Amino acid sequence: MKLKKYIIKRLLTAIPVLLMISVGAFIMMNLAPGDPTDLYVSPDATPMQVEATRRALGLDQPYPVQYVRWLGRALQGDLGINYSTRYPVLPILVSRIGPTIVLMGATLLVSYLIAIPLGILSARKHGTWIDNLLTGGAFVGVSIPNFFLGLGLIYVFSVQLGWFPTGGMSQLGGEGGFISAIHHLVLPVTVLSAFYIANMTRYMRSTMIQVYGENYIRTATAKGLAAEVILTRHGIRNALIPVITIIGTDLPRLVGGAIVTEQIFQWPGLGRLTIMAIQQREYPMLMAITMLSAVVVLFANLFVDIMYAVVDPRIKYN
Amino acid sequence: MSRMKKMLKYGTVVFASSLVLAACNNGDVPDLDEDTSADADDNGEETAEGDVPEVDEGDTSTLMVGLTNAPDSFNPFYRPGVAGTWVQRFFYDSLLTMPTADSFEPALGSFDTDDNQVFTVTIDPDAYWSDGEPVTANDVAFTLNTIADPEVETTLGTSVAMLEGTNSSGVRDEGTDELAGVEVVDDKTLTLTTKNPVDEAYLSEFLGFNVLIAPEHVFGDIDVVDIPNSDAATMPTVFSGAYKFVEYDTDNYVHFEANPDYYRGAPEIETVYARIMNGTALITEFQAGNLHMAAGGGIGMVPVQDISLLEDIDGLVVEEHPSFNGQYMVINNERIDDPQVRQAFAYALNRELTVDNLLGGRGEVLASTYSSASPYKDESLDPLPYDPDLAREMLEDADFDFDTPLDFVVPTGNAVREQNGDLIEQWLTEIGVEVNLQTYDFPTWLAMANDLDYDIGLMGWGHTVDPNIASYVQTGGASNNMGIEDAQIDDLLDQGMAGTDFDERFAVYAELQQYLQDEMPVVPLYSDSQFAVRVDYLDGGINEFWAGSLHDLHEWTIESQD
Repeated sequence: MKLKKYIIKRLLTAIPVLLMISVGAFIMMNLAPGDPTDLYVSPDATPMQVEATRRALGLDQPYPVQYVRWLGRALQGDLGINYSTRYPVLPILVSRIGPTIVLMGATLLVSYLIAIPLGILSARKHGTWIDNLLTGGAFVGVSIPNFFLGLGLIYVFSVQLGWFPTGGMSQLGGEGGFISAIHHLVLPVTVLSAFYIANMTRYMRSTMIQVYGENYIRTATAKGLAAEVILTRHGIRNALIPVITIIGTDLPRLVGGAIVTEQIFQWPGLGRLTIMAIQQREYPMLMAITMLSAVVVLFANLFVDIMYAVVDPRIKYN
Repeated sequence: MSRMKKMLKYGTVVFASSLVLAACNNGDVPDLDEDTSADADDNGEETAEGDVPEVDEGDTSTLMVGLTNAPDSFNPFYRPGVAGTWVQRFFYDSLLTMPTADSFEPALGSFDTDDNQVFTVTIDPDAYWSDGEPVTANDVAFTLNTIADPEVETTLGTSVAMLEGTNSSGVRDEGTDELAGVEVVDDKTLTLTTKNPVDEAYLSEFLGFNVLIAPEHVFGDIDVVDIPNSDAATMPTVFSGAYKFVEYDTDNYVHFEANPDYYRGAPEIETVYARIMNGTALITEFQAGNLHMAAGGGIGMVPVQDISLLEDIDGLVVEEHPSFNGQYMVINNERIDDPQVRQAFAYALNRELTVDNLLGGRGEVLASTYSSASPYKDESLDPLPYDPDLAREMLEDADFDFDTPLDFVVPTGNAVREQNGDLIEQWLTEIGVEVNLQTYDFPTWLAMANDLDYDIGLMGWGHTVDPNIASYVQTGGASNNMGIEDAQIDDLLDQGMAGTDFDERFAVYAELQQYLQDEMPVVPLYSDSQFAVRVDYLDGGINEFWAGSLHDLHEWTIESQD
């Protein structure tokens, strides 16, 4: 019951936070010098024609009026229109969430499944050549730029070998489905995972090394418990709290997308949409993406806080 | 641990479900429901969202086009960007086509005149809209009247500004309901009357070629104020062009299907996908054999430094053509009002080096406003040479204030232009001019330029075949963000527009080019080449006059590779 109350309290607190974020985002966008209308009129447009476009885009009103109108419509599910094509923002946004969640979800899942065992292995073999190899590999993974790795993989595996598609999420006219999705996921997930695996391996390794130095591990060892039991029952569980923090910071990326990788692989996700929206000053789209990101960050933080309590019984929320 | 296992299990299930859902996702393309989108039955399966169309070897019925700019409009009255116009030409025809820069051919109509002021337009008797309605003179009159409507949101005012009954911006005279210069004679005939006799090529390009004719029976019932956001303008359903618009997956691709009843003959290629990607992806897609052609022009651009990569690919045809567009160093003429100072700036810039090094020789130094693509370029006029000593001398002679730094604005978004900005800063510094280089995104720079809140800056100009550059350099011109107010320029521009044939006008514009070089209100820099890239088994594609390249779209074929 206490946890339930805590969650409700956190959700209620999120409302003013989201409102403040929306005000901040709106102000920052409109503080940018220049008029987005200029991008949507011809170079020889007369002031009257510019005004007509400004009016059609709702930019002719004072900023407070624009914000209140946006808020009123947003609360009813209308996030405005794209300035260029005049398509409603919401369906476009919704259509991009799926591909991004798939890409980032696959990336995080693959990364954690590989990195956590590697981190543990590295910690258990601390100081050996295996540890050195994994640590070195992790540094390479963290350091290598996504665009470089992405283009390199495309060149080798798509252009030269033809094993994987150059981009996109599935192929037109093909059977589509699960296999096609996996086929298209391999290269972008590999690129994105390189960083996450490296990052998580390092965290897991250092946390496990720290845990292995704790008294309770020594006690368990002295009691004669098997190494696997010590690892699973005492080691991993205690190492999970900092790892959950890392997972918490990774979760918002599920919708934040991977801007560079999505561009390189023409992945029709939110990252690519965000870049296009920034370049074209699509304010309604940017507001929608900002608010979506804010909601996800708030929920991810809440999720992490709850997970702390689940993993560590000492943590109680009153 | 059991809790952990459960979490892992559920997480895996959720992820796998999302993957399956995504794979089965059936294309909720924004607001394109079956009732309002084009009939895609013939071959037009709507593609699943996120699909990337790829070339299927041996398939001669699907054309893959690479586009680096997303289309910004499907509204025939409002086309702010080049990509939107290019895409609309697949499904809306104009009265005339322009196979080359100096030739016109009838499309929906043909022009005839005896006095260069009253033009008779005859509509093709076989022209029908895709819903079976005939294309009539009323459609043309409706389109022109709508563009000239003071209430409508349009980017085409200058295309009708020569007609009687409009002001200089192409807006209908106050107190009138219809354009005085447009008269429907019968279903297939109308007359257009201009304010003054004009060069037929000017009318043909601006009104005949630039204006895409809209169906009156679709748009006629919509209040002009509501047209841009209407379904008819965002999800077109009735077409006069070789193709039908099927769907637009935002920033991903545009899908067209052949219009089998096209009045100039059913298209040979049944399906076209215009895929949107960046320049780097364009190259890898060509390398992987996933594209048949690049859209070319400014909207299917391969970075100039990467062209050689494409030239190395077997079976790919890469052609270089001069561009009508150019890059300029604009000058705030209100702040820098001495022509000698402005000319000194031109002498200080090593523009040959820019073309040779930054463009790899794939471009030209501009002597004045027009590039070699323009028939109005005065070939006898050479660019001012690079002479920093002379530049410094001229500045000293003009008592130039070397102590006050110049605000130099470079917009982002064009890598070569940004690099050229650094070079210009260096060259000006070499002759003792202090430069405060600032980089802004384009909208910010445009706002600054419009407020004349700068000293010098870099700007790209797009040109039509018609040499009228009034919007850039005439007093009060809509894009004159340099504060140019020069009676001689205004007079020459007026004379140029009054001419009714090429020779008469060429003489005037040659004089204008010389005058602009002497007064140097803006420093012409360079014009980078355009590239037409296509596979050798595509019979069709981009030609030397990029804007008119789609004139024979319905005749393009893909040869079988089997």
